[in-house]
Amino acid sequence: MDNAVDEVADAVIGNVTVTPGVFRNVRFDAAELAALVTELAAESGVTNPIHIIVNEATPLAKLSAQFDDGGPDATLVIRAESGALENTKQLQTFGRERAAESLGRMLLRARDRMRDDFADAPPDRQLTLAQNAAWDAYCAGRLARAGHRVVPQRWRYNYRNRFGFSDDVDAGFERLWAAEDLGFADVVAEP
Amino acid sequence: MRQFFPVEDLARDERFVQTNMAERIKDPRVPGGGSAKKKSSRSSTNKLTPDRHDASDRARGLMHGIMVGEIQALEGAGRTAHDFDAGDGSGDTIPFALKLDMARQAWDEARHVEISAKLSTWMGTELGEFQENTVLFEAACSNDPVLRLAGVNRALEGLAIDVFTQMKEFGDLAGDPFLEFCEDWMLADEVTHVKMGSDWLRKVTENDPDRRAKALEFQQVVDKLFSFGGARGDTAESSFQLARRFRELAGFTDDEVETIAGLDQQALVERKAAINAMQAAVADS
Repeated sequence: MDNAVDEVADAVIGNVTVTPGVFRNVRFDAAELAALVTELAAESGVTNPIHIIVNEATPLAKLSAQFDDGGPDATLVIRAESGALENTKQLQTFGRERAAESLGRMLLRARDRMRDDFADAPPDRQLTLAQNAAWDAYCAGRLARAGHRVVPQRWRYNYRNRFGFSDDVDAGFERLWAAEDLGFADVVAEP
Repeated sequence: MRQFFPVEDLARDERFVQTNMAERIKDPRVPGGGSAKKKSSRSSTNKLTPDRHDASDRARGLMHGIMVGEIQALEGAGRTAHDFDAGDGSGDTIPFALKLDMARQAWDEARHVEISAKLSTWMGTELGEFQENTVLFEAACSNDPVLRLAGVNRALEGLAIDVFTQMKEFGDLAGDPFLEFCEDWMLADEVTHVKMGSDWLRKVTENDPDRRAKALEFQQVVDKLFSFGGARGDTAESSFQLARRFRELAGFTDDEVETIAGLDQQALVERKAAINAMQAAVADS
């Protein structure tokens, strides 16, 4: 995921840097992407500079986000495989709803990480699959309440795949989906 | 009622967006991004397994592909039952018993569409959420019914055996009580459909070796196309495997299975070469 973007110039739009600045394998527009990130950051309360790095060499959809240092003005670096941002009805084109769902989750995670009770949260790439599923459920619920188009059953199914198919697991999902003010330990607690 | 329906005229509502194989192979992206897999990667293969980070989304996409494939299989079997007059199998006729088998298959496929649509909903997918590749129905547009048997029943339905086996295994490993159960039932039907194709192809071409040879040649073309550039195969780079045992039950000989495995490998090599060429062209631009 780290290759294939290094030699391409960035696009800097406001507080957001997009790499690459010009896409070749997909028909994305850096300015449109930056505008969406700016909008989502404002909604999420993230005021830090943001650098979004898109790997357009793969259609997969992995995402991660981390601050480049521990300071208050640290840059939030979001890495996204192109599939996380594309329109699944018209492949290789930008999908605003899907991108908002993907990037919105990353920005909510970033805001969570600013809290003291997320200090013990491992970096995104070291999270277990179960921790990822639980945190995604928590973020997706908040995104839905913020007015974004989110299909709850997609996240419920993802959660079930990690924790099991049972009523107790479903109750755990509903708790995360409805929550607004959890610490990391609460998010990843076994259902 | 109209006969010989072109792919462009398939009826779909506004939720569905169609594409074709020619469009899809223009996409220069590859799952690994063109780089070797890291040893630390959670998934060391392209196979769909629950321990992939994107397992549920990949399963949703594949299930949607199955659903639209079932719609096209229903349309293909229905067309074959209707497009040809009943006769002795020569010329443009098909035996009446073959028409009945195609009608039975259409009934099965209609049930599979309903099951797949419900499974998609269960997995959090909206109908039409993903592009519909019409390659399956295109294989059912031949003017020769024997070529349809080869292309649809043996190649297309053979692919369904491979994919359903994969999804059944995924449901079993993930503990999904509905997915494993439903795939198992549909898989049983698909084995029957392939067997019908194998039996009728041999019967109708019993005294016409040239026609049989052409049909098997067409099947190989379709099999290679349905390998999706080596997505099916026995290598770690393949997303799903050739279900050898079920294919044997469906009337494939060992030689035929090995031929398909060889086509899958050839398709993978050609796909990788095409991707490399496209990526080189992009880099030079």
